[in-house]
Amino acid sequence: MAEIVFAAGVPHAPAYVGLFDKAPPEDQQVLTRSYRAVREQLEASRPDTVIVFANDHLTNSRIREYPDFLIGGGARHAGPHEWFKPWIGCRDYAVRGNPEVAKALFRGMTRRDVRMNLSAEPLNFDDNLSVPVTMTDMDRMGVCLVPVLQNCTVPPYPDGRRCYEIGLKLAELLREDLPEAMRVALIGSGGLSHEPGGPGYFKIDEEFDRHFVDLCVRGRHAPLLAEMTPARMESAGRGGTPELYAWFTVMAAIGECAGTTYGYSCWPSFRCGFGTVIWDLTTRAH
Amino acid sequence: MDDAWKGFDPTLASHDLVQDLKWNAELRRLFETDEAKVLDRYELKPAERKAIEERDFRTLYDLGMHPYLGGQLSRFIWGNDAAKGAVEASNRLVASLQGHDRDIPEMP
Repeated sequence: MAEIVFAAGVPHAPAYVGLFDKAPPEDQQVLTRSYRAVREQLEASRPDTVIVFANDHLTNSRIREYPDFLIGGGARHAGPHEWFKPWIGCRDYAVRGNPEVAKALFRGMTRRDVRMNLSAEPLNFDDNLSVPVTMTDMDRMGVCLVPVLQNCTVPPYPDGRRCYEIGLKLAELLREDLPEAMRVALIGSGGLSHEPGGPGYFKIDEEFDRHFVDLCVRGRHAPLLAEMTPARMESAGRGGTPELYAWFTVMAAIGECAGTTYGYSCWPSFRCGFGTVIWDLTTRAH
Repeated sequence: MDDAWKGFDPTLASHDLVQDLKWNAELRRLFETDEAKVLDRYELKPAERKAIEERDFRTLYDLGMHPYLGGQLSRFIWGNDAAKGAVEASNRLVASLQGHDRDIPEMP
């Protein structure tokens, strides 16, 4: 039985890195404080493997053959993909993969009626993985990483209820399929409100963001599932905000826990609302 | 499917154009020097091709283009570096989609 030792929801917009130096000081401080908290608490939790659920952003597959979930089964995950380097502006990184955990995830989800795809080939990573890894120095912690890139933007995509259901199966899989005493960290990478490439590219829905983060901090899942329908997500930023469904998988896997957030930013040039939640696993409702 | 996506057309050839440009550096270089030659390789509808040539993203989106890939197309055209080209690309894209530039923040 593996143990979940850390869980967080972390945004990943590229401008958090590329325009960081141009942002107002108070927004810089929110980002610095938030990523520092993730880095320190992740490292202190001493995970063997970090599983990151993140929007694929159409980075690996064509629309006409788009998987809902693509597990990175490689022995090494490196990024960013060359075309995204100037866009993000982050440093290069490489993290050890964990092919055995990736295979266990694929096998276990298949047995639990969840269709996921598994790739042994190197995956392309844009901001989805590159921003959280480099902003938290995850690649310097000596951990293994298993990325699960999910469809959050090509309709029809798995909605909150489906991601939550998958998260419950993930919890079961971690309990039943992974080695005894393995320490696993879970991260949902994405959000907050944004509309990449759309007419609302510069619009951030602060009211939505603050409400969403508040629900996550309170750790009560019923209102999240009831309120955060695809229609609500899309209205807060078409094609972007639904990537918050990556957080739902994590929340379902850990159960109802209270969380902590480290501030909020909606500087328009970030083109994405910013807020992080780290869940306190000791508050888990049983 | 949510109403926000009712005009989306997943069969549009422009989607393949953007994916190939993203994954193929040589094709990107050719796009910069001879855009027409690259467009010739794709089965673009006449209106789709005209919209790309005229940088008319409103029409391209009305034809069903995915906005995430539309944003990437704008960066192949106007620039992809975080602090300059990508900002200009997003500004011009939004101006094309809205028909005005009133909501665009000043260059940071």
